[in-house]
Amino acid sequence: MYEIIEGFLEAARLIVTLDPDVMAIAARSIIVSFTATISATLIAVPLGTTINFGTFRGKKSLINLIQTLYALPTVVVGLLIFLLISRVGPFGSLRLLFTPTAMIIAQTVLILPIMTGLTISALSGVDPVIRDTLYSLGATRLQFLTNIMKEARFAILAAVAVGFGRAISEVGAAILVGGNIMASSFMSSTRVLTTAISLETSMGNIPQSIALGIVLLVIALGVNLAITTVQHR
Amino acid sequence: MQRRTLFAVAAVMVAFLLICGCTGTTTGPDPVSAEKQQLRIATTTSLDDTKLLERLSTIFEEQYNAEVLVISAGTGKALEYGQRGDVDVLMVHDRAREDTFIADGYGTNRRVFAYNYFVLVGPESDPAGIKGMEPKQAFAAIREKGMAGESGVTFVSRGDASGTHSKEKAIWKAAGLNYSADVQGSGDWYLEAGKGMGATLTMTNEKQAYTLSDIGTYLAYKGDLELVTLVDEGDTLLNVYCAMQINPEKYPDINSTVAKDWINFMISDDVQKEIASFGVDKYGQPLFYAAQNDWEKIGVTEAEVTDPVL
Amino acid sequence: MIELVNVSKRFGDTAVLGGVTGRIERGEIFAIMGPSGVGKSTLLRLIGLLDTPTGGEIRIGGTDIHAKNGQSLRIRRMMGMVFQKPAVFNSTVSENIAVGLRFRGASEAVIRKKTEDALEVVGLSGYGERRARTLSGGEMQRVALARAMVIEPEILLMDEPTANLDPVSVEMIEELARRINRDLGTTIVLSTHDMYQGQRLAHRISVLMNGGFAQVGTPREVFTLPASRDVARFIGIENIIRGVVTAGGNGTSAIDVGGTLVRARSPFGEGEAVCLCIRSEDMRIVPAVGGKAVLSGNSLPGTVASIVPRGPFSKVTVDCGFLLSSVLSWKAVDALGIREGSRVVVSFAAESVHVVRAAQG
Repeated sequence: MYEIIEGFLEAARLIVTLDPDVMAIAARSIIVSFTATISATLIAVPLGTTINFGTFRGKKSLINLIQTLYALPTVVVGLLIFLLISRVGPFGSLRLLFTPTAMIIAQTVLILPIMTGLTISALSGVDPVIRDTLYSLGATRLQFLTNIMKEARFAILAAVAVGFGRAISEVGAAILVGGNIMASSFMSSTRVLTTAISLETSMGNIPQSIALGIVLLVIALGVNLAITTVQHR
Repeated sequence: MQRRTLFAVAAVMVAFLLICGCTGTTTGPDPVSAEKQQLRIATTTSLDDTKLLERLSTIFEEQYNAEVLVISAGTGKALEYGQRGDVDVLMVHDRAREDTFIADGYGTNRRVFAYNYFVLVGPESDPAGIKGMEPKQAFAAIREKGMAGESGVTFVSRGDASGTHSKEKAIWKAAGLNYSADVQGSGDWYLEAGKGMGATLTMTNEKQAYTLSDIGTYLAYKGDLELVTLVDEGDTLLNVYCAMQINPEKYPDINSTVAKDWINFMISDDVQKEIASFGVDKYGQPLFYAAQNDWEKIGVTEAEVTDPVL
Repeated sequence: MIELVNVSKRFGDTAVLGGVTGRIERGEIFAIMGPSGVGKSTLLRLIGLLDTPTGGEIRIGGTDIHAKNGQSLRIRRMMGMVFQKPAVFNSTVSENIAVGLRFRGASEAVIRKKTEDALEVVGLSGYGERRARTLSGGEMQRVALARAMVIEPEILLMDEPTANLDPVSVEMIEELARRINRDLGTTIVLSTHDMYQGQRLAHRISVLMNGGFAQVGTPREVFTLPASRDVARFIGIENIIRGVVTAGGNGTSAIDVGGTLVRARSPFGEGEAVCLCIRSEDMRIVPAVGGKAVLSGNSLPGTVASIVPRGPFSKVTVDCGFLLSSVLSWKAVDALGIREGSRVVVSFAAESVHVVRAAQG
C-alpha cells in the first residue's frame, strides 16, 4: 500500500513538474500513434468506402474477414513487420527496424482492419433515404461518396478515435519493431509510453511507471472525450 | 460558423502533427545532425540495466559525433539481431556462443573490455541452506530441496537464452545434471522468467527465491531488493564481457567505421578507467572490472584486450 | 412526357410489378394510388433511376432512361424526389437545401438567393441556420421539398410525401405541390395510399393493383366509375353486390341479386355476371309504413340489421335479401325512429348504381 501511495505522489510530481523524460516519451507516443492513425485513416476510409459501396463476389466474406482481424494480436503484427523489415527480410535494405517509422508501420497495420471495418459500419449505417436523396439530387459518383462520408463523419471520427486508442495503448508490436531505445536524439528513440511502462515496472521503477500510466490514460481518455463531445454537439 | 472554425482548427492541428510526424520519423539526416552517424548496439541487459552503457555512450557521442542506439535484449536475442544484420555492434557475455557466431562469419573484431562475477542471490533466511557452498553444490542443494517440496525454495531462471542463462546451464551441467531433463520443467521450484536481468531480480525478490545474477546488475538493484549474496566464489562464476562488430563481409552496408570506433573506444585507457570506477561512488564497489590488465586472469589473449581493431 | 411500357420488377422470387403500362403527360399531377405494399414506391424508384426494372421500358421524352448510354446523370438531374420518410442531412437547413445546387456547380450567390427564396416558399424563413435534425417531421419534409424544388426539376417524384405527418403539415405540403405544379409547370408524379389526397391533388389518378394499373383517369372518372370491383372497393364504395343481368337494352338493365331485382343503368346484356356498386350516400331509408319513396327507381323493403356509429354519422345496414349500407346523421336516425329489427324501405336511383363486370374467377 505504501508503495502505491508513494508511487502516486512521485508520479504526480513527475507530471506536475513536466519531467522531461516523461514528457518526451509521451510526446513520442502521441506522434508515433497519431501518424499511424492518420496513415491508417488515409487507407481505411477509401478502402472501407470502396468495399461498402462496391458490388463484387465475396463481399460478405471480406467484411467478415476484416471483422475477424479486429482481434489481430499486437505481437503477431510486430513479428510480421519485424520479419519484413529486418535486414534479411524483403524490405531489409530500408533499414527501418528499431526506428519510429517501424512502429508507425506496425501500428498502421494493426489498426487498419478495425478502422476499415468501422468505416464500413459507419457508411452502411447511413439512412438509406439519405443515399436515395443524394442520388435523386443528381449527385455524381464522387459527389455521392463525399456527401455520404460527410453524413457519416462522426461515426468515421469514432473509428479514428478507436484506431488511435488501440495504437497508443499497444505494447507488443512497439517493443518488437521499436526495440524500446532511449537515444540522445528525440526522434531516434523508440521508447513510447507502453514500452516504457513495461520496462520500468519490470525493473521496479514503480513511480515512473505510474506517472507514465497516468499520462497514457489521460491521452486515451482525452481523445475519446473530445470525440464524444464533438459528436454530441 | 463556430463548428466550421473548430473543424478548421482541428484540420490545421492534424496537418501540423502530420508534418511533425513525417519529418520527425524519417531516419534521414536533419540539419542539426547532418553528419551524425548512427550506431546500433544490441546488448546484454546487464550493461544497460546498470546504466554503464548510458554513461559510456554519452561520452562516445560527444567525442565521435555519432548517435548510439541501444537495444537491450540479452545475449541470445542480441546474437539473433546480429545474425540478421539488424545492428552494427554486439555487446555480449557468452564465450562459447560468441565463438560459434564468429566462426560462422557473422561477427568479427571481438575485444574483451570488462569482467565481473556471477553471484547466487537469495533470501536472507536461505531455506535451502546454501550459504558459502561451491556453486555447483549450491545448485544441487536448491534442486534437491526444491524437488522435495521444501517451502520457500524456488529458483528463478532468466530463461531467455541470455549469457547469464548460458552460465546457469553450465553450472547445472557441472553439478552433474541434464538441464532439459533434470532441471527445466522438473517442478514448480524452477521458474523461467524470460526477462532481462533487472526484471528477473525484481521477480526473484517478489517471490523471495534464488537466482543467478551478474554482480553489476545485482549491486545496481540491491537498494530495492531484499536479497543477499549467498554464493560468490568459484572460477565458474567468472563473467567476461566483449564487444564485437557484425562482419561487414556479410552485411556490406553495416556501419563498420563507427562500429570499429566503438570497439576501440571500449578498450581505450580512458574508458577502461571509467569502467573500473563506474558505480564506486554509489555502491561502494565497482560493478565491473576493467579487462585491460587482467587478461591472464580471465583467460583471454592480450591482443583481445589491447589491440585496436583496424 | 413519361411513358411506361410493360414495366416489371421482381425482387428475388417476388414479382412486385408485372407489366405497368401508361403515360404521364407534361405538366400534370399524376397520382399513383393503391393499397399499401402494392409497388407504388417501387414504380417511383424505377422512374427516379434509383432502381432498374426487370423488364419493360420507361421512356422520358422518348429516351429509354435505363439504357446504358451515358445519359443517366442528365436524366437523373431532370428529376427531383421527395420520400415518405422525412430525411435531412446532418447540417444546417440552408446547407440541406443547397446540396443539389452544389452538385450542379452553382455559384454561392445563386445558391444563397435560391435557398432563401425556397425557404420562404416553404414557410421556413429564418430557419436557415438551424440544424436540420432539430426540426419536426413536417418541417423536415418541407425542407426536403424545398431541396428538391431549388434544382428546378422537370419532374418531381413524391413518394407518399405526407404519410405520418400531422394534418397541418399535410395541407402545407399539398398546397406546395399544387403551387410548384402551377407556377413552375413541373410535372408531379405522386404516390399515395390516401385516396382523398389523390382526389384533392391529382389531375389524373392511376390505381395500381395486382402489379399493374387497374384504372387510369380523372379523379371524377375513377371515383364515380370504378373500372372494377377491386377499384370500387379501394375507392371506398361500401355496397358491392354480385348479380346477373336478366334484361337489358337502352342502357337500362334489370339485375337479379339473389331473387331481388335491381334497376340500373348499364351496357351489359342479358346473362352477364356483374357487380353493382352503390355509394351509401346515394341511398335513402324510409319507414316501411307511412314513409314515401322520394326517389324513382329502386325501393327495396328490408329489416335493419345493424346501426353502427361512425363519427357524426351512423352506418345503417339493412337486410333486403342482401345487405345494403347507408350513412345517416344521428338526427336522421332519431327522426326515422329506427333501430335494429325495424322494417324499412331502402330506395335509390337507377343512376346511382354503377355496374361493372364481375371479376374473373
